[in-house]
Amino acid sequence: MLTTMLAELTGSLHIGLAAIGSAIGVGIIGMKAAEATGRNPGAAGEIRNMAIIFAALAEGVVFFAIFLGRLGM
Amino acid sequence: MRLTKLIWALILLVGAASFATAAVDPAAAGHEAVAAHAAAAAGEAAHEGGHGHGLPPAASPIFNIGPLVVTNSMLVVWIVAIALVIFAQAATRNMKEVPEGLQNFWEWLVESLYDFLGGVLGPDLVKRSFWFFGTLFILILTTNWMGLIPGVGTLYYKGQPLLRGGNADLNMTAAMSLLFFFFWIIWSVQALGVVGIIKHIFGGQSGGGLMGVFISLIFIVVGLIEVVSILFRPVSLSFRLYGNVFAGENILEAMMGIVPWLAPVIPIPFYFLELLVGLVQALVFTLLTAVFTALMCAHHDDHGHGADKAHAAGPDGHAGHAH
Repeated sequence: MLTTMLAELTGSLHIGLAAIGSAIGVGIIGMKAAEATGRNPGAAGEIRNMAIIFAALAEGVVFFAIFLGRLGM
Repeated sequence: MRLTKLIWALILLVGAASFATAAVDPAAAGHEAVAAHAAAAAGEAAHEGGHGHGLPPAASPIFNIGPLVVTNSMLVVWIVAIALVIFAQAATRNMKEVPEGLQNFWEWLVESLYDFLGGVLGPDLVKRSFWFFGTLFILILTTNWMGLIPGVGTLYYKGQPLLRGGNADLNMTAAMSLLFFFFWIIWSVQALGVVGIIKHIFGGQSGGGLMGVFISLIFIVVGLIEVVSILFRPVSLSFRLYGNVFAGENILEAMMGIVPWLAPVIPIPFYFLELLVGLVQALVFTLLTAVFTALMCAHHDDHGHGADKAHAAGPDGHAGHAH
């Protein structure tokens, strides 16, 4: 046999990878939002809105991976 | 008077329905699973019998009205809608100069929502579109929290859960985001006109000469990417809300099933997480739709394209001096 399979990855690997990525993204957004609020407490409201929007956008990647990634399999 | 009657009728209806399901439930379970004697004692996780781990991804049908199949998620949304209408009616029945009680609560809710959305949309646009975004926020929030009331998802009727979180059904979230898309098109056409929209998407600031041709070519490619991203908005909006709520319900169910005799205790932290997620997701849906609208419509009064970023980020200061 030419190709010996040493290990096989099955299951929903793409969802796991997407979750890692978007978790890192949301973490960075939260970190920067906290920093920004610390520097300019007067802009807390706007920073919160922005952070929520971008966190939602980063989080959406996982749902694409879950629901749309399944169609390709 | 008529209203109190209505409320009593509703309470009676809901009470009767839950009583009926409670009565029907053990019978159905016994009928369905003769061998599952031990499983019945194991509690909620084992309720589905052999194949039960987690929630089914689609809402299950309960009964039919003619050709219309009524699912358990639809029931929850209807209950929420009726309750909201009744509360709003009760709050605004005799309005007072100095509000108190229910009227005070609703005024606080609507006013703070109006101010919040006004900061995103600008004073002009919020006057025209507040009815949509305000309704969206209140409906999503109430539906999300209604799905967390104990009994939703655990009362069974003919082997199916009678109630299920309204947004744990992709049809509901897709309907809301498609409706938003429809109104987004209408508002954009009202604000910019069809030619204005095309110019807004494909056109950039380009000088004359050969360089200008190159730059406008680049802007056309950017516009194509923009079109794809606009078409993906309803998809991502509906998947985001559905995914969050459905995953939340799944987490709660999985946590109930981990250790059977600890079933009432383990889900409690996740329950509070879900309360938070319900609020945040309602906020996210409303905020994102509002920002998408503001990006397109609150544009005709600024000076140059450099302000695009400011719109996306915090349009508060910029849209403030519209007129």
